[in-house]
Amino acid sequence: MFLAIKEMKHSKTRFAMIGAIIMLIAWLVFILSGLGNGLSTLAAATMKNIDGDLFVYEEGSEAAMMKTKVAGTVADDVEGQYGVDNAAKFGQSTIIVQNEVVSDSKEKNDVTFAGIEPGKFIEPEVVEGKQLDANDPFGVIIDESLHEKGYELGDTIVVTSSDLKLEVVGFTKGETFNHLPTIFGNLETWQSYAFAAPGSDNGLENPVTMIALQGDSIDGEQINANYDGVETFTKSEAVMGMPGYKEESATIYMMLAFLFVISAVIIAVFFYVFILQKTQQFGVMKAIGASDRFIKNSIISQVFVLSLVSIIAGIALTYLTALVFPAGMPFSLDFKMVLIYGVVLLIVSVLGSVISARQVTKIDPLTAIGRVE
Amino acid sequence: MTGLALKNVTKSFKEGDSTVDALKNVSLTVEPGDFIAIIGPSGSGKSTLLSIAGALLQPSSGEVLVNGTNIGEMKETDLSSFRLTDIGFILQTANLIPYLNALDQLLLVRRMKGKVTSKDMEFARTLLNDLGLGQKLGKFPNELSGGERQRVAIARAFVNNSNIILADEPTASLDSNRAFEVVKQIRKEVKDRNKAAVMVTHDERMLEFCDKVYRMEDGVLTLQA
Ligand SMILES: Nc1ncnc2c1ncn2[C@@H]1O[C@H](COP(=O)(O)OP(=O)(O)OP(=O)(O)O)[C@@H](O)[C@H]1O
Ligand SMILES: [Mg+2]
Repeated sequence: MFLAIKEMKHSKTRFAMIGAIIMLIAWLVFILSGLGNGLSTLAAATMKNIDGDLFVYEEGSEAAMMKTKVAGTVADDVEGQYGVDNAAKFGQSTIIVQNEVVSDSKEKNDVTFAGIEPGKFIEPEVVEGKQLDANDPFGVIIDESLHEKGYELGDTIVVTSSDLKLEVVGFTKGETFNHLPTIFGNLETWQSYAFAAPGSDNGLENPVTMIALQGDSIDGEQINANYDGVETFTKSEAVMGMPGYKEESATIYMMLAFLFVISAVIIAVFFYVFILQKTQQFGVMKAIGASDRFIKNSIISQVFVLSLVSIIAGIALTYLTALVFPAGMPFSLDFKMVLIYGVVLLIVSVLGSVISARQVTKIDPLTAIGRVE
Repeated sequence: MTGLALKNVTKSFKEGDSTVDALKNVSLTVEPGDFIAIIGPSGSGKSTLLSIAGALLQPSSGEVLVNGTNIGEMKETDLSSFRLTDIGFILQTANLIPYLNALDQLLLVRRMKGKVTSKDMEFARTLLNDLGLGQKLGKFPNELSGGERQRVAIARAFVNNSNIILADEPTASLDSNRAFEVVKQIRKEVKDRNKAAVMVTHDERMLEFCDKVYRMEDGVLTLQA
């Protein structure tokens, strides 16, 4: 540590430059992770928010929302059996809406229309207004992001290419689905909209998209076996089945993985060159009695201190840039995640330096004797 | 037994098919308080002798006893800590660490052993003071003259209070006034602190400061009258 700190104080520019590079890599990592987080929220927040333990989809649907229809009667049937404490029906369609009050602006919005049973566990808490009411079939609670687009409590929402009209009774927070803001309404209202065309319900009784189950030890196998055309999935499988979710996360994670590898290589190469430049110096140190451990420790502790400071600077820079990002950008930083990625980056750079430091063993202390440099 | 003793040491280097005998049956004893010099032509094996005495190189045959310990039987990892505690090296060029000031150069050596105490600090200051560097404790190598750098290197060799001091052409990079100065100071430290010291030199004018002079010729060491 002694040598490490003294050297950094002495060659400030050199270390400031490497520090800046580590900081920029850290910054890129955090920005990417924030984007990944934001995108996955957009893709699947409503799905993630559902406090379910097991999910019933159509058999062969691979938990993809577009490919599933199940009979709602299954929900009523399994409740109280197979370890299921609660079962809630969920239906969803992508619709285009307009605000009737300000429709002269002619602005149309893509939203997800989710049909649920009022009072069941899928229903999110409102932050403003009232919860859903079974006696008010056309009342809906909508995501806050629509508030910014001019929707107010009491406004009437016109669903285009249909004669359905809905009324805003409440607002929720952080409810997006399939990259679109979510509108929650009564299940029956959704069913009459979604299955307006005769035969589109595939002959299912009380058709819904998916059924969420609550219970500590649900016997999914038994449910699969006893009901025709259904298949149960875990929550993470259900989230993975959201459109685009898997692909987006895979892209982000791949970029992150590359960044980690790149930073390890950069650190390793930098310090490899440093050590080459200092062969003579280390030879002298070994001649006067320094052990390999002593020298390696000083190299590794130097990388540790440098990376730690740079990563902290990178975190600060990330939060600063987050301030200037436009509000609509799908960017959300989770401090726990930032911390984890920061620690991973730190470990990766220290590992890079450990690899470089290994060549110290090869330096012969004899280089110090009997030679003019 | 303290001091340095080499008994029938030979060292040969393999160079392709041929072997070079750098040392042939060399014996040498240096008692504490002795300051001896080795002179001889280039390539005669002086540095090789010093490297073997300083535990940097293992002899092909023969015994090397440092303070009674046979270093031929030691493992590589033990050798580095042995060099640290038992041997002080003064090299041809000062070979200081560029980013450490004069005082830290000495403290680094203490640090290789463990914690630096205030007593170590005091000793380091005393050494530098004795060598006339009392005003230069905070200077970096690039802010010191060649002679001053070499004096810091001398102080560094003494800071662990090791009993053996080995110097390989410590005056080679200095002009003659500075060279005299530096050799006188090595002698003073050796006598004051009762060390066994060996100096390799090309410079015959330095020999008046030494107790004994050996001549190395083609790997054979002889005492000069
Ligand atoms: N690592 C080595 N490999 C092969 N040969 C070596 C090695 N080190 C030294 N030699 C040979 O051993 C002989 C003695 O070398 P040494 O460095 O001891 O000479 P020296 O007396 O110190 O010379 P100088 O006064 O020029 O420093 C030389 O012939 C040299 O070429
Ligand atoms: Mg030599």
